[in-house]
Amino acid sequence: MITSLRRIRAIAGTTLIELARLRVFYVLVLFALVLIVSSTFLARISFQQELQVTKDISLGAINFFLSLLAIVATAQLLPRDIEDRVVYSVLAKPVPRFEYILGKFLGVVGLLAISLAAMSVLCLVVLHLREQSALHEVNRQIEQLAPDQLSSTVRVIHTAGVNRDLIAALVLVLAKSAILAATTLCISAFATSNIFTITAMAMVYLIGHLESIAREYWLQEHVAGWPKRTFLALVAFIFPDLQAFNLSDQVIGGVPIPAHLIEQLLGLAAFYIVSYILLATAIFYQREL
Amino acid sequence: MKAIAAFILVAAGLAPLKWKFERSIDANHLSSDVLHHAIDLRERVGQTAFIAILGGFRSVVADLLFIDGHFAWERVDWSHLLLRLRQVTMLQPHVTMFWDVAGWHMAWNASTAALNDTSLSVAARRRLQREYIELGRDFLERGVANNPKNPKLYEALARLYRDKLNDHARASENFLRASRLPGCAAYDERSAAYELSYCEGREHEAYDYLRALYDRGEKERLPTLIARLRHLEEKLNISPTTRIPAK
Amino acid sequence: MTHTAIHISRVTKVYRTPFRRQATVALRDLNLEIAPGEVYGLLGPNGSGKSTTLKIILGLISPTRGSVTIFGRDNSVVAARREIGFLPENAYFHKFLTGAETLRFHAKLCGLSKSKTTARINELLAAVGLTDAGDARLSTYSKGMLQRIGLAQALIHDPKLLVLDEPTAGVDPAGSRDIQELIASLKNRGTTVLLSSHLLTQVQEVCDRVGILHRGRLMREGQLQSLLGIENQTELILENASPDLLDGLEQQIASTSARLIVRRKPQASLEQLFLKVTESTEE
Ligand SMILES: Nc1ncnc2c1ncn2[C@@H]1O[C@H](COP(=O)(O)OP(=O)(O)O)[C@@H](O)[C@H]1O
Ligand SMILES: [Mg+2]
Repeated sequence: MITSLRRIRAIAGTTLIELARLRVFYVLVLFALVLIVSSTFLARISFQQELQVTKDISLGAINFFLSLLAIVATAQLLPRDIEDRVVYSVLAKPVPRFEYILGKFLGVVGLLAISLAAMSVLCLVVLHLREQSALHEVNRQIEQLAPDQLSSTVRVIHTAGVNRDLIAALVLVLAKSAILAATTLCISAFATSNIFTITAMAMVYLIGHLESIAREYWLQEHVAGWPKRTFLALVAFIFPDLQAFNLSDQVIGGVPIPAHLIEQLLGLAAFYIVSYILLATAIFYQREL
Repeated sequence: MKAIAAFILVAAGLAPLKWKFERSIDANHLSSDVLHHAIDLRERVGQTAFIAILGGFRSVVADLLFIDGHFAWERVDWSHLLLRLRQVTMLQPHVTMFWDVAGWHMAWNASTAALNDTSLSVAARRRLQREYIELGRDFLERGVANNPKNPKLYEALARLYRDKLNDHARASENFLRASRLPGCAAYDERSAAYELSYCEGREHEAYDYLRALYDRGEKERLPTLIARLRHLEEKLNISPTTRIPAK
Repeated sequence: MTHTAIHISRVTKVYRTPFRRQATVALRDLNLEIAPGEVYGLLGPNGSGKSTTLKIILGLISPTRGSVTIFGRDNSVVAARREIGFLPENAYFHKFLTGAETLRFHAKLCGLSKSKTTARINELLAAVGLTDAGDARLSTYSKGMLQRIGLAQALIHDPKLLVLDEPTAGVDPAGSRDIQELIASLKNRGTTVLLSSHLLTQVQEVCDRVGILHRGRLMREGQLQSLLGIENQTELILENASPDLLDGLEQQIASTSARLIVRRKPQASLEQLFLKVTESTEE
């Protein structure tokens, strides 16, 4: 057991070093950072609430780039190991394939966590500064405002600024990209090129956001014709419900997120990840190396 | 191959668990209380796909399209404006301002322009006016479906029924709905009562409602309220002892 | 009870490529037995199934039919791999690690304790002559250095069986000799070695026995000397013989029942055997 953990840690650590050397990693993180900073300027010319738009763009940028990173980074892990024959020297050691897959996955999660931390810090700082300047503005106009109006304005600013729900949304972005990484491992366990993996994952990403609709139609409505029914059932069965992890509408709208929802979502993420990692291992066992 | 087949069998057994888990989460989502009832499939797929593709840039894209729509309005290009408004509300279904403006453009601006369009026959103008009002109503109805907890769109919808469609029952209904939500306007409840007082056959109901408002105190006793109440007292032959005191 | 080091019994391997109807039969009914302490050379041209055989032994791919045991244990259990070190064909390993880091990584995979690892790494780097290059990244290594770090990596857990896929391919003659010497020294310590090569000359000195594989079949097997010897022929190699002497000998032979087959300068003959074996199956 302990040696097993050591092996997984060794593989994960090496994978993390490998990924941290990828140029695409720096490009993506840099892009996201630039966007987060510029979001305040975009927000200022918007018709919508400035703080909310800042938050929308920042959260969106983090979500998008982390998802993209999860897919691109994971897609090339197995092909590269096979090309460099690393997979042979590793699997010829007493390393079960499950440990190899899990180690790779954890390496990617490490990379995602580091990237998320970097982007989140900047996002929170930017939002905090905007929030402070909005509050400052209110303080300047304090004479003109009635007391109850003042308190409600301040409350609106606080719900739109940095708060617990924003942190929760960020954690769920990590959970979602970890699910994407596990799914990517599944596909790359049988794919012969990483272009194929990335293309397939683009579809998974899109369909995964529509899974809840397919599921409800399959479970509730009586859709006519078996081809349609089979299709809906397959979509609802194979794909993860990615839309469930999108709390940005809620966070931006200032609707409080119940704590049990966050717990449930983390549980769902764990459920998906375990399933997809097991599936990836099963596929990888079949693979002729 | 056997291992994969076995895995799929096990997974298929887990499918109901997966769905149950996902549904219990769905029940707590902001978008879901909306999505499960009123909105049709195509709109849901479109919205969700947009969210997936554009992510946080939806707000920016929506703003740009909204600006373009504004130029279309200045050019008096109604079909272009309609297209942009559809896209904007699809992208940002939870920003009520977009639905409000979309409804207003269609039911007020476009419909009036149609009525004044001298290049058309009178019958065609009326038909076109009617169509634009319907489009405005559709925007507001869908806005309400997407934002069932926001009173502003119910108010806009009520105004549209009142001013453009002369449908006092629906207007009253929507004012009433708005009045039950936090952040509603002070006049919502009174307006619901006024509109009810114009409905044929519902005079008793309206009278009880207006009277209840009257009895709440000075704050509600506005001239219109008193006038409507007097009108109904006449119409219903309310006994002089229970009528509101004359000035 | 003592086991054979490797026992391959009636192994057939068919590669099926998805979306392609034709299947490749890489191995047909292969039987192979390797004794503990033996150095066995698996020879054959490219595509003859050498790598496939080695990968099946390591459990990297599963045979379509047949079975493999290693020291009496079924090779599909992970534990069987504790006794084996493997050098893959054309391996590059993680290019971003240094030589020492590569060895440390593989030591962790084998479950070596931390305290032993550092000493073992230094020992192995010295054994393969990479002590000075231990802190350089593998991306700067030459092909010969990569093969040597690969050997060190295969030896990290002091395995009883060493499997080397084309250990000398692409390595210059001097490097190739170093590798052969290393194999010889391992043999002296009792390690069983199975290696593959498509060039006989590079491994002829170290192998106790060789098997010749062609199109997935084991064509010949045995000690090199006996494989190469032709029973009813004798070769004389003379030095400084005058043409007169040679002509005289030739005449003498002609007067007997013996027949002179060829008169020429001597040359290496291993390739001929190779060709003879492979040509005989050419349709
Ligand atoms: N993964 C694979 N899929 C399909 N065919 C393969 C695969 N690996 C090897 N082959 C085929 O099997 C045969 C034997 O290959 P291999 O064992 O690599 O030969 P060698 O190592 O002797 O050069 C070749 O014809 C090769 O094309
Ligand atoms: Mg080979």
